[in-house]
Amino acid sequence: MSIVLSIDNIAKSYGSVKALKGVSFDIPEGSVFGILGPNGSGKTTLLGIVMDVLKANSGDFRWFGQPGSPEQRRKIGSLLETPNFYTYLSAIDNLKITHAISGRGNEAEINDVLKKVNLYDRRRYKFSSYSLGMKQRLAIAASLLGDPKVLVLDEPTNGLDPVGIAEIRQLIIELRDKGHTIIMASHLLDEVEKVCSHVAILKTGTLITTGHVEEVLMDEDIVEMSAADLAALAAALNSWGHSVTVDEKTNTVQVILPKGTASLETFNRQCFEKGVVLNHLLLKKKRLEARFFELTNN
Amino acid sequence: MMKLIKTEWLKIKGYNSFWWIMGLTALSYPGINYMFYFVYKDITDQKNASGQLFKMALGNPFAFPEAWHSVAYFSSFFVFIPAVVVIMFISNEYTFRTHRQNIIDGWGRGQFITSKLIDVLIVTLLITLLYVAACLVSGFVTIKDGDGNNWGQAWYTGVFALQTFAQLSIAFLIGFLVRKAFIALGIFIFYFLILENILVGFFYVKVNDIGRFLPIEISDRMVPAPAFLGKIKSPEVYQESLDRIPMHVGMTIVLTTIIWLICYRINSKRDLK
Repeated sequence: MSIVLSIDNIAKSYGSVKALKGVSFDIPEGSVFGILGPNGSGKTTLLGIVMDVLKANSGDFRWFGQPGSPEQRRKIGSLLETPNFYTYLSAIDNLKITHAISGRGNEAEINDVLKKVNLYDRRRYKFSSYSLGMKQRLAIAASLLGDPKVLVLDEPTNGLDPVGIAEIRQLIIELRDKGHTIIMASHLLDEVEKVCSHVAILKTGTLITTGHVEEVLMDEDIVEMSAADLAALAAALNSWGHSVTVDEKTNTVQVILPKGTASLETFNRQCFEKGVVLNHLLLKKKRLEARFFELTNN
Repeated sequence: MMKLIKTEWLKIKGYNSFWWIMGLTALSYPGINYMFYFVYKDITDQKNASGQLFKMALGNPFAFPEAWHSVAYFSSFFVFIPAVVVIMFISNEYTFRTHRQNIIDGWGRGQFITSKLIDVLIVTLLITLLYVAACLVSGFVTIKDGDGNNWGQAWYTGVFALQTFAQLSIAFLIGFLVRKAFIALGIFIFYFLILENILVGFFYVKVNDIGRFLPIEISDRMVPAPAFLGKIKSPEVYQESLDRIPMHVGMTIVLTTIIWLICYRINSKRDLK
C-alpha cells in the first residue's frame, strides 16, 4: 500500500507556544485516517501546514511522494476549519471558483455535488443567506468536486444536525468503499470509531500514538467471561494468577492480559476442566473514547 | 494567466459594490472635468477685456491637444474612489478567509498576489478607458478651439494609467497589510487627501521641494498642473515640472515594483490566518 501523505518531524511555534513538537507519521492510501486530540493539540495546525496555509518551523511533508505544491493540492478536496466562500455569491458561483482554481470537476459535476449534499434547490441563493449547516454542506460539496482521490476534512460534521451527521458519515463510508483516502480531524470519537481505519492521537503538539484503529484500541487484551456460578469462575481465574474484575451489574468477570496473549480456547478448556461452564466468552476491545482519555490523561 | 483573469472575473462580476463604485467613478471623472470646463467657459465667455485676455493667453485647456493633459490632471483627484474597490478586493479575501481557501484549492501564494495584481490592472484599465472617453468628449466638443494636433499629448494616457496603477497599488498595499477594510480605507484616504498634501506643502515652505519624493506625490508629479494653471503661477516652474516628468515616471515604476515585490515576499512567508 503506497503512502499518500508522509509527515516528517514537523514542528511549529506561535511565539512561545509550541503547537507541534516534531510530529511524524504516514497516511496509507485507501485509509480513513482520523487525527484526534483535545483542543489545542495541534490537529488543525498540522492540516494547515500540509495544505500550505501555515508554514512549519522545521520538518517536511510529502504528498504522493512529492514535496507539497499547488499541483498536489489541486488533487485534494479539502475542508479546513470553517467553510470559506464569497458571501455575495451563490453556491453555484462559489463552486465555479473552486473549479476554476483547482481544475476539479465541471459545470455538470457542480450540480451533482450540490445534489449529493442536498443543496441543489438552494443553489442560486447567496452564501450569506445559508445556515451554518448549509455552509458546512457547501464546503463538503466543494471538497467532493471532481471526485478527488484524497480528502482532507477538518471537523466535517461541524454545525450539522443529527440527520446531517449521519449523512456525512454514510458519505465517508461510501468514499472509503470506493477506495478514496480520507484524512479527518475530529472531536467526535464515536464518529471516528465508526468510520476510521487508522488514527493518530495528538496531545499538546506531540504524537501520542498512531496506527490501525484496532491496534491503537487494543493495547491490551480484555477477556470477558460469564458463568452461572460467577464466584466459582472468579476463584478459578484467580487460582491461575490472573487479576480479575467482577462486574456484578452485567454479571461478568474481566481478565486483562498483555496485548496478543489471550487465548479464548485455553480459557474455555481450563474453565471446563475446573467444572465451570462458560455461558459468555469474548475478547473485547476498548472504546476509542476510553482509550483516548487514557492516552491524553483527560 | 488567462485562468487567473477568468477566476478574478468570477469574483468581481457578482460583486455589487464594485459596480456601484465604478458607476460612481464613471460619474465623477467626467463630472470634475465638466465642472472645471464650465468655470473656464464662464470666465472666457465674458465679453469684457479680462475674459478675452485670459482666453487669448491660455487657450482652451479642454481642447485638443491640451485636453489630454488637463483631463488627466483633474481626473487624478478622484483616484480614492476606485481605491475603495481595490481595498475591498483584498480585505474581502481576509474577511471571507478565501485568501486561505484559494491556496488550499490549489493556487500558489504567488498566484494569489498575481490575481490581486490583475484586479488592480483591471480597475486601472477601466479608469483609463473612462479617462480616454472624457478626453475625447472634451476634445471633440471644443474642436474649434484646438490647434488641429488632436493626438499631440495623447501620451498622457500612458502616464495617467501609470499614475492610477501606482496609487491604487499603494491602496492595495495598505489593504494587504492592514486587512480590515474600514481601517485601510481610513488610512489611505487620510494620507491621500490630507496628510501627504500637508507634508508636501510644509516641506516646500520650510525646507525645499523634498515632498515630491513622497509616495503619492512621486506619481502625482507625472501629471503636473495643466498649462493654464501652471503658467499663471510661473512659466519657468511649469516648464521645470514638465521636464521632470520622465524622472517621476522612473521613480513611480521603481516604487510600484517595490510595493508589489513586498506583497509577493510577505505572502510567500507568512501564515495565512
